Amino acid sequence: MDWEPLIVSYLFGFVLLNVLLLAMAYMTWLERRLVAFFQDRIGPNRTGPFGLLQPIADAVKLISKEDIVPANADRLVFLVAPLLSFVLAPLGALVVPFGDAVTVFGRQVNLYVIDINVAALYFLAVGSMGVYGIILGGYASGNRYSLLGALRSTAQVISYELVLGLSLVGIFILTGSLSLVDILRVQQRTLVLGGLELPNWFLLSQPLAFVLFLIAAVAETNRAPFDLPEAETELIAGYFTEYSGFRFSFYFLAEYINMIVVSLIAATLFLGGIDGPFVDGVWWLAVKAFIFLFFYVWLRATLPRFRYDQLMGLAWKVLLPLALINIGVTGLVRLWGIGAL
Amino acid sequence: MAIEVLIFYLLAGVAIAAAAGVVLARNPVHSAVSLVLSFVNVAAIYVMLRAEFLAVAQVIVYTGAIIVLVLFVLMLVQQQDLPEFHGGRPLRRAVGFLLGLVLLAEVAAAILTRSLRGAPGSWPPEAVAAVGGNIQAIGRELYSVYMLPIQATALLLLAATVGALFLARPELIEERLAVARRLFTISLAHPRGVDPLQPVAELPGPHDNERKPAGGDRVLVMARNAEEFTEQPAWGEIRR
Repeated sequence: MDWEPLIVSYLFGFVLLNVLLLAMAYMTWLERRLVAFFQDRIGPNRTGPFGLLQPIADAVKLISKEDIVPANADRLVFLVAPLLSFVLAPLGALVVPFGDAVTVFGRQVNLYVIDINVAALYFLAVGSMGVYGIILGGYASGNRYSLLGALRSTAQVISYELVLGLSLVGIFILTGSLSLVDILRVQQRTLVLGGLELPNWFLLSQPLAFVLFLIAAVAETNRAPFDLPEAETELIAGYFTEYSGFRFSFYFLAEYINMIVVSLIAATLFLGGIDGPFVDGVWWLAVKAFIFLFFYVWLRATLPRFRYDQLMGLAWKVLLPLALINIGVTGLVRLWGIGAL
Repeated sequence: MAIEVLIFYLLAGVAIAAAAGVVLARNPVHSAVSLVLSFVNVAAIYVMLRAEFLAVAQVIVYTGAIIVLVLFVLMLVQQQDLPEFHGGRPLRRAVGFLLGLVLLAEVAAAILTRSLRGAPGSWPPEAVAAVGGNIQAIGRELYSVYMLPIQATALLLLAATVGALFLARPELIEERLAVARRLFTISLAHPRGVDPLQPVAELPGPHDNERKPAGGDRVLVMARNAEEFTEQPAWGEIRR
């Protein structure tokens, strides 16, 4: 067995996990500041310059809180569920390519952890496993509100996962591959439209799929306006009502890491990932992912929460048919060779 | 090679232990969670066999959708309403035992009659690599050799979808129109989403036990201590 690439992959994964955790911490700060500005407030600005030390203070506070297990809880499941949520959240980022291969210490190092030929499906599979943390947490709390949150989350995630998966099929048809590295390579080409030279990003050839993916991704990560599983005003925070201290923070971490991972995947699939003007590189990926994260916060600050039946109606009666139409049209275009992409 | 065998035994061991947990767990939700664990380990074994697509499909379809739906139903049903899993009637136990034996014999026969290495199929690793990978190979095979079964499956699923739509469709024309209107009017924070429809159905009246006694006020309870007081049924409380 060849150990060297394995060890390099593990090291890269370790660095990636730490970067994700740091990004997550500052995402909470950024969200609080941005929402505050949207609402004409100031936001956290007391801890350190611009409140930059606020995430660290929050982490210390959460660690030092008491870990409460309700008497009515299913103890083992209750203790494990948040860990499940947290462990599965960063796994999706493993397939994101962060750049072309670089040479470190005379060795060729690929800037991704793994390149499997089912990368996009792997991302969906990890996402579909992630819902278990929510379901089991809600069930094990022994609390009606938590159970309702878990039930809503189940129905919501199953519905929107379908849309998420189907919105990507157009890309698969155009590239003939499910590997994110291959999809990225196709996007790094140049698209010549008349006299215009455009980047061959799938945002341009699959705009409908992009919109569907964006909507489904917001629902999949349980963010406003689709945050029904944790609707504060109706369910008192839903599935994590009974969690306290560090176990609560695991759910918190998982939610934000999910947001970052989905943003990275969306940037890679639709916005050309590391492709950009001047020099390609991981900075373009960071900029694009930041655009998505800003969009998330913007949505949360702008839109009220959907009603539950509207949420399901939207998925099954509007988004799903649109995704199917998109697949049909893309397949026909590919069959007749009009796109020549 | 040795390390891969070791990993295989680890995965297989956990998968079998989890499968035993499915049968042995008292709580049906614990059974479902064990099943998830077993499925994930089997998926990992598929990955070791270089069948990535099968592994991912297993995780998405079985753990991501089917077991989630099973949990959904389990959580909706009260624990005490679930059928008794353990014990049960003697006839059922005997049939279950027999079926288990038949399955064991089948699996044992399948394992014993084949050599350790199965017959090579029509897709050796080189051919899979030549078409670009696992998924491409499966796609070619499915849409050429297995065209008829694929189309039959598609037809079956289409029929099931049409049937589900037919069952869920409201009977009356007005109701259908109302549903359509509700779909296309997304009005946030409105109790029913649409205004010009029939009034919201009246809530059912209170149960007889919940009604206030005709006398008006609650019966005065004389109690010596707190326990005796709380033992009195409160107004509206239904004792089982």
